[in-house]
Amino acid sequence: MVERSQQEVWRLTPWLVIALLLLNFVLMAFDARVDGGQRVIRVWTQTVADFVQSPVTTVTSSVMNYFSSIATLRTAQTENEELRQRIQELEVELEGTRDLATENERLRKLLGLREESKYRILPTRIIGRDPSIWFDSAIVDRGSLDGVNLNMPVVSSGGIVGRVTAVGPLTSQVDLITRDKSGVGAIVGEVGESNALGVVTGTSKSDLLEMRYVSGSVEVQPGQIVYTTGQDGIYPAGLRVGEVVEVRSGSATTPHVILVRPGSKLESMQELAILLYEPPKKPEFERALPNVEKGRR
Amino acid sequence: MEQVKITVALIIAVLLQWTMRNVAEPMAYVDFTLIVIVYAALQRNAIRAIIYGTLAGLAVDALSGGLLGASAFSKTLVAYLVSEIARRVYLDNLLLRIPVIAAACIVDDLVYFGVHSLLGQQPNVPVGTTIAYSLIGTTVAGTLIYIMLEFSFSERTRGRRRESLSARRSSRRRNPIKLSK
Repeated sequence: MVERSQQEVWRLTPWLVIALLLLNFVLMAFDARVDGGQRVIRVWTQTVADFVQSPVTTVTSSVMNYFSSIATLRTAQTENEELRQRIQELEVELEGTRDLATENERLRKLLGLREESKYRILPTRIIGRDPSIWFDSAIVDRGSLDGVNLNMPVVSSGGIVGRVTAVGPLTSQVDLITRDKSGVGAIVGEVGESNALGVVTGTSKSDLLEMRYVSGSVEVQPGQIVYTTGQDGIYPAGLRVGEVVEVRSGSATTPHVILVRPGSKLESMQELAILLYEPPKKPEFERALPNVEKGRR
Repeated sequence: MEQVKITVALIIAVLLQWTMRNVAEPMAYVDFTLIVIVYAALQRNAIRAIIYGTLAGLAVDALSGGLLGASAFSKTLVAYLVSEIARRVYLDNLLLRIPVIAAACIVDDLVYFGVHSLLGQQPNVPVGTTIAYSLIGTTVAGTLIYIMLEFSFSERTRGRRRESLSARRSSRRRNPIKLSK
């Protein structure tokens, strides 16, 4: 091995720093291009990290479950009595529901309708959070081997959570809807019943979203529910986004600015689901438009 | 030997950075990789510290929602600045290292935020609060980790401790004052 003198090292260092800084800057500029693709380095690092993150998550969640089960034991007896009473009430309700279900099935058969799901749902678990405090992405334990693709929507019981932005063989990275670069085509109220259409984007607060471009002439009230419209080409229509908490009213010429609280508890969630959903293909005439390449990114 | 130890410490730091936020959210405010990189830079081996900065930064960026290379950029710069300061100023005292890790944390955060803003990627957290919490978390953890590293890793410290102990023993033996007859 070549031993370098201290002076030689100090002479060499600034050049090495400049070279590395340039390399990193080129990487950043390349990554900042919004082309919808994914980076090989991310995919492989995720795969390596999975071998550490999965066992750590398993161990910590089982330890936490153990302690929380001890804590819940204290209230178990009172809860038990309440639940017994509730079971009796539900049994009565169930009898009524059974009759309705049988009737429903009979009528469906009569009409020739089939029960079918719009898309498959893949349950998943968060095994890692963003190592940097500045962003809020999550790593989940499903990857391309489970059929996950880029841009697939991720949901929880409360509503949409985000979309898949990098896919490894075993894991995927999910960018949350709270990110400022995210955009979800949304509507206040049910699709078809309202015309308060707009785009939901992230804000600098993790528990608040902003809905823009909603016409100022449409009436919007706090407490109303916001749903996806399916027009963004990522999320299917009819999924819950959140609830309106504040409306900064616009006018006939300026749009409303609506603050929305996400339906999912984004800071504390652990169990999620990936929708194996492919958005419908754009019609031929739309793909032939001159800005089609930009639009696809 | 010290090179191997710092490399192991850096690998552990990267693994902690990858996992700890999912275990406890406040741990996200501790930048383990920065602590080890600053420690490496304080050992006056600039080239090693800079390369460690780039590699650890890239490992963190790859799992982050931020730009690939942003953390590597800021950590490379911090490693260089700290090694330059360590070359000019005597920083072997632990008390002097506390302001260094605090300053390194602020520079790292500002550069990271700056390059993202420059390339049109706005982080979704309040800047001032995040830098303040990160400063507290990293400085406190850094001080504790440096004490640990000094006592378990540094051959020099061990040697110094041994020397001081033997000096005390010999001075006690040579003490001419007799308290009793």
